[in-house]
Amino acid sequence: MSLHDLVISPFAYEFMRRGLLSALLLGVSGGMIGCVLVLRRLALMGDALSHSLLPGVAVAWYFFGTSTSALFFGGLAAGLLTALGSALLSRLTRVKEDAAFGSLFIVFFGAGVALVSKLPTRINLTDFLFGNVLGVSAGELRLAAAVSLLTVAVFILFYRSVLLETFDPVFHRATGGHGGLVHLGFLTLTVLNLVAAMQTMGIVLALGLFLLPAVSAYLWCDRFITMLLVSIGIAVVDSAIGILVSFHAGIASGAAIVLCLGAVFVLSALFSPRHGAMGTVRQGAARRPAP
Amino acid sequence: MRYGRLTALRDLTFAIPCGSSTAILGQNGAGKSTLLRSVMGWQRLAAGEIRIGDEHPQHARPRLAYVPQRHSVDWDFPITVRGVVEQGRYPSLSMFRRLGRPDHERIDASLEELGISDLASRQIRMLSGGQQQRVFLARALAQGGDIFLLDEPFAGLDLFGCEELTHILRNWAEQGRTVLAAVHDLAIARSCFERGVLLDTSLVAAGAIGEVLSPENVERAYRGGRCVHTGHARDPRPEEAKP
Repeated sequence: MSLHDLVISPFAYEFMRRGLLSALLLGVSGGMIGCVLVLRRLALMGDALSHSLLPGVAVAWYFFGTSTSALFFGGLAAGLLTALGSALLSRLTRVKEDAAFGSLFIVFFGAGVALVSKLPTRINLTDFLFGNVLGVSAGELRLAAAVSLLTVAVFILFYRSVLLETFDPVFHRATGGHGGLVHLGFLTLTVLNLVAAMQTMGIVLALGLFLLPAVSAYLWCDRFITMLLVSIGIAVVDSAIGILVSFHAGIASGAAIVLCLGAVFVLSALFSPRHGAMGTVRQGAARRPAP
Repeated sequence: MRYGRLTALRDLTFAIPCGSSTAILGQNGAGKSTLLRSVMGWQRLAAGEIRIGDEHPQHARPRLAYVPQRHSVDWDFPITVRGVVEQGRYPSLSMFRRLGRPDHERIDASLEELGISDLASRQIRMLSGGQQQRVFLARALAQGGDIFLLDEPFAGLDLFGCEELTHILRNWAEQGRTVLAAVHDLAIARSCFERGVLLDTSLVAAGAIGEVLSPENVERAYRGGRCVHTGHARDPRPEEAKP
């Protein structure tokens, strides 16, 4: 098999071009979102959030069919309901936010699975959970483009607020920043990206496209801006490779992309000279602050 | 000042003169952080008021520089020393403005003043505790205010770090900057600050540090662990400006 057969010819198919484009677009925004998730230690919350989208999407599908915008708003509503619901729950009851989030999302996810299996629709649960690049419609591609553009714009416009809120929320507040607003805006962006990534990546795997490039970049970079750029780079390159692997090996696109990203992550964790495992072992206990 | 039904701090009247260094003292739960937060204008007062100059704290924000506790940030964050100090300039920039030449000069000057210019491009984990503290101080300095609020700046510093910080804060007061810091350690408070405010959910004493930390006052503020004052709170008494 020539290089041309390997890399170029798959994209003779319309669905492959759409799938690739959608993955690239979401790689850009997801790579940025992931950095904040990693640095704010919200990685698991992002995971929970992605699962909770299912019932919203299922209900939207039932009432409005394959309409992209309906699915989008269904997922958005379910995601925000989980986020706000758990915030409210932790304020009003003794339950702490992580437990509240964990409990709510699993109930939402359960409801979603129940709905999907019971509703008289032609939804394929597997596609929902793990992604199917074959199904990226023109509408979904437009959605991915819009979400990606919005995310990039927000990060550029509010770069300083994002950085301050991520690094030192107390200082951000002390200087008149609106931490709550930034946080809410960020959660909304995360949900938007998750919904947009649903078709290619699947609900369960979508977060991988956000998180894995960011953790990998985190292992290499000592500046926030470089971390963002490296994360985007990894996400974009691995999305493209993943789509190709998915085509040739005949596996779900979400899984293929996540596996490629996972490989980069494992390599980074092992071999990053300063923050990886090898580096730490080599320096022994001397990982104390330099004088 | 109240949290829900819990009154955290009450019956408090004192003044802090400009260009002085003041330690806020008291045991855990005495209200040190609450007082700092109130001065920042984060806490709605149940009664009374705080004025900074002639202004409400919210309006005096450009004058205030807040230095959080050192352990409140993630020192593994991908950011350099200079990156942190640059943050001091963010509040004064509008959304579309980038850091200009005057900003960079101010950042350089702050780094210089705290002796960390040569560390500017280091990631912040690669610093000693004292150096990390100086990065925070430099950021506060870069903000360009003249009132510095520090939350437990001595916490977790080794002996050398403490001495260094004492030296810096004394210098600041001499230069006419106003320093207000929550402090745990009475010995450090004595050696570093001119004035003190001793709290035990209400005001125990305020004034020159020596008088505030008289054996009777310390006894009263630290008597037998946490004690809740009921009914015999001191009369609020305005504090004169001269020590």
